[in-house]
Amino acid sequence: MLAFKLAVKNLAGAGLRTWLNAFVLSLAYVVIVWHSGLLEGWNRMARHDMIEWDIGGGEIWFEKYDPYDPFSYQDAHAPVPENWTREVQQGRMTPVLLTTASFYPEGRIQSVLIKGIDPAQSVLKLPADSMRTDEEIVPVMIGKRMADSNHLKKGDYITIRWRDRHGTFDAAEVKIAHIFKANVPTIDNGQIWMPIEQLRQWLKMPGEATYLVLGQNEKPASAEGWTYQGHDRLLAEMDKMIRQKSVGGMILYTLMLLLAMLAIFDTQVFSIFRRQKEIGTQMALGMTRTQVIGLFTIEGAMHGVLAAVMAAVYGIPLLSLQAVRGLKMPEGMDDYGVAVAEKIFPVYSAGLIAGTVVLVMLTTTIVSYWPSRKIAKMKPTDAIRGKLQ
Amino acid sequence: MRNQRIIPAVLILAGICIAQTPDGNALLKKIDENMIARNKIITSRMIIHGRRGSRTIESRSWIQGAEKSFTEYLAPAREKGTKMLKLEDQLWTYTPSADRSIRISGHMLRQSVMGSDLSYEDMMEDPKLENLYDAAVVGEDTCLGRSCWVMELQAKVVDVAYHSRKIWIDKTRYNVLKEERYAKSGKLLKTTVISETMQVEGRWFAKRAVFKDVLNQGKGTEFILESLELDADIPDYIFSKAALRK
Amino acid sequence: MIRFLIKGLFRDRHRSLFPVITVTVGVTITVVLHCWITGVMGDFIDFNARFTTGHVKVVTRAYAENLEQRPIDLALLDTKAIVDSLKEQWPGYDWVQRIGFGGILDAPDSLGETRAQGPAMGFGIDLLSPETDEIGRMGIRDGLASGKLPERPGDILISDQFAHHLGVGPGDRVTLLTSTMYGAMAMQNFTIAGTVNFGIELMDRGAMIADLSDMQATLDMQDAAGEILGIAKNHRYQETVLAQMSDAFNKQWTDPEDEFSAVMLPLYEQNNLKSLIEYTSGMIGLMIFVFVLAMCVVLWNAGLIGGLRRYGEIGVRLAIGENKGHLYRAMILESVAIGICGTIAGTAIGLGLSWLLQTYGINVGDVMKNATMMIPDTFRADITPPAYFIGFIPGLFATVVGTSLSGIGIYRRQTASLFKELEA
Repeated sequence: MLAFKLAVKNLAGAGLRTWLNAFVLSLAYVVIVWHSGLLEGWNRMARHDMIEWDIGGGEIWFEKYDPYDPFSYQDAHAPVPENWTREVQQGRMTPVLLTTASFYPEGRIQSVLIKGIDPAQSVLKLPADSMRTDEEIVPVMIGKRMADSNHLKKGDYITIRWRDRHGTFDAAEVKIAHIFKANVPTIDNGQIWMPIEQLRQWLKMPGEATYLVLGQNEKPASAEGWTYQGHDRLLAEMDKMIRQKSVGGMILYTLMLLLAMLAIFDTQVFSIFRRQKEIGTQMALGMTRTQVIGLFTIEGAMHGVLAAVMAAVYGIPLLSLQAVRGLKMPEGMDDYGVAVAEKIFPVYSAGLIAGTVVLVMLTTTIVSYWPSRKIAKMKPTDAIRGKLQ
Repeated sequence: MRNQRIIPAVLILAGICIAQTPDGNALLKKIDENMIARNKIITSRMIIHGRRGSRTIESRSWIQGAEKSFTEYLAPAREKGTKMLKLEDQLWTYTPSADRSIRISGHMLRQSVMGSDLSYEDMMEDPKLENLYDAAVVGEDTCLGRSCWVMELQAKVVDVAYHSRKIWIDKTRYNVLKEERYAKSGKLLKTTVISETMQVEGRWFAKRAVFKDVLNQGKGTEFILESLELDADIPDYIFSKAALRK
Repeated sequence: MIRFLIKGLFRDRHRSLFPVITVTVGVTITVVLHCWITGVMGDFIDFNARFTTGHVKVVTRAYAENLEQRPIDLALLDTKAIVDSLKEQWPGYDWVQRIGFGGILDAPDSLGETRAQGPAMGFGIDLLSPETDEIGRMGIRDGLASGKLPERPGDILISDQFAHHLGVGPGDRVTLLTSTMYGAMAMQNFTIAGTVNFGIELMDRGAMIADLSDMQATLDMQDAAGEILGIAKNHRYQETVLAQMSDAFNKQWTDPEDEFSAVMLPLYEQNNLKSLIEYTSGMIGLMIFVFVLAMCVVLWNAGLIGGLRRYGEIGVRLAIGENKGHLYRAMILESVAIGICGTIAGTAIGLGLSWLLQTYGINVGDVMKNATMMIPDTFRADITPPAYFIGFIPGLFATVVGTSLSGIGIYRRQTASLFKELEA
């Protein structure tokens, strides 16, 4: 307790120097919390969006379906197993049927993936109910990126040509009933969504699906020929990317901490140099070397505490503002296959903040202790006379 | 779209009322008889109009009945020696540069043949219309100065590429002068317009025609029949995979 | 006087060594950080430039409208003349032709019959000409999983997964079935020289890399290419330069009436990259600002400490009659000397470390998964011109400010109480 009180007094006595050190350390706190919070926010947002818009609580694929192999789509459909009928009816899972087709934007033939989904579904956030119209023409919806890259807009008519299960050509004009804006590129690029019943009719595949999207926490009975795909598999690519980013962030934190430590180290070396008489006196008065080292170490480490307070003073308003307002992300980021919202809202978890405090305190203590070891080698008699050692 | 469904219906009704209208299916049989010979050897040119200019492809085909055909490309130099063999519902292609014959299946069948408005699938179709469609005569028209029956063809089997067709038939020569192919929805997909006909051994064939994929921008593909030999002697080995490599 | 001061600095270790070390370390950190952030943030621009967009890309106007589809039927003709002209006009750039194509890769059995087939996403790049550096540029060497790099015409690389799918490996022959730029069917045999791990799922499924000349022959594209990429030899991304280049090129070559006339697209006009780049440079700026600010504070503090450390010395100097102003100026001059020495040393060390980080990088990829990948999973520093002088801001400026602030104390000291202080 004595050491603590002395440390506070000494720090207060050093005035401006203490504040400068604390400021640099506080920057380390804020930068680490902000950057990690941003990554975490992105991670959660991306997962959240992927789950809400694309993969739900997981997917069940028909065994021949391989999303990366368009050749597989032709045979990747089968009637939805009967033991899931109830779940589907209750809206706990929703079937998706897909086929490749051609469409003709601006008279140029182009391949497109048509996905049929129930307009009444509520498993995904996809605004499928926008395809419930009274018009006779088949309503479809596309994503914004698809619309932009093909110069399409709401209300446009496009011609789609496809082949049914027997290979018979069919073509129809459809109307773009809705252009949705989602952060998830995997439901947007090169895809047209339409009501599943209509697609089943077109393809002559009544009651069939390519895959089913599950609602949250749904664990349906297994069915032959269908395999469950959990989040761990469906989100693997994204997890990898986030992990890479956070490793990159580590370097940043290390450099930031190094900088702050330079300041603390400098201060400690100086204190010990300048306060030799004081050290000598303390030892003469009966403090053991360890106690004196402890005193100086605590004094140095107190910078960490001070910095935490300082970081809280300007950091909390700043970071909270960011957490509420979000950080605007540029367009085009999602070209890299990972969902990116227009704005990312950082998430600062208690664990993150506590972890950062522990990290900074620990390094500060070590750096404070390091130069203090010199005290152990001092002879009290020399020290008390202020003789340089 | 609704209109397109109604029009054929109206035409059918109208057709019933016309006196002395021949039976559609009987007429179809006659068309097939005219078109399909036991054997024929054709030399033809195809002019493909693309966005960057036109190309002419010459080929020679040996055709036996409705099932077997063998085509060898003669020009341009790049395509020379490329061969295609069709045996019932299978298609093989061979190029001298790779010296391999590969079966074209699934996805590839949808590609266009040599960049033309025809797909491989169009080539693969059973040319015997009688096997695929029910026909009804729905009216009369004049094409190339000849009076024609207008016929409406509806698919009677499921695995057919075009659900319905409309053809214009010379009333006396039984050759097709114009054709439109429709999707099941009634949407027009492809058209063929014959601009010149020729007579070979008493039968009439299209000498010049333009195929067009209606959905696609472009000027279509011209087809010109250079020579036609009917009931020629074609040795059987021609229709074998071994012949591709020769 | 300056010489006198420098001599003093050299001879009196306490006056110089410690402050110089502090400045050196601080400047080193700043320089490394600058290079690191620039490197990491700039990595994706560089990656895009090397892989897909070039710093500039020349295509036909029609191709530009469907850029994402890489439509070879809209490819550029007479590319040699264009490339020659580009090389002459902008020698600071590498000009390379590339062709993107699709098709089916067919693996035969011993009788030449189809054994396995799969859709291929192809890249025709210059693998074989003597002056080419495409293999290095695309990082293919890093991704090689088996076999070797293509050495002769007809050699190709395919993705490792694709090779497993087809049941083929290095040395096997496969046939590519595709369409020429005019839509005619084309078939060509290739020999698999090696297999590659790309690190991008889509490409790992079915990518194929063939030599440009082979693909020009196969696709009927003599003297034609889908795109011509211009990549800065110094790897610098300079937006204004690219804008000027594009303007100059388009004035000369682009004909609004001819959809097949050439048009140059700078990197930032492709794939929505513009806003991404603006964002990135904003972030770089912010990060560096925070760091330089922090560094300034640290060195300011060091300056303060330096002043206090010499409290006694200054007292003596004042006592023997040295003018306060003179003393103050001398101290500032000293700090300038310290700042310069420290900054130069720190910049040198920082650049050295950055060079190491630039050359070797830090691998952030999954250690568990197969280690070789074509897509960079290594973050690298990037030494840009600002790295040479950014250290002076904290190193010199902050040190001097720190000293001047602490030096003000000189004026407050009373000559009368000097000895009392010294006794203490």
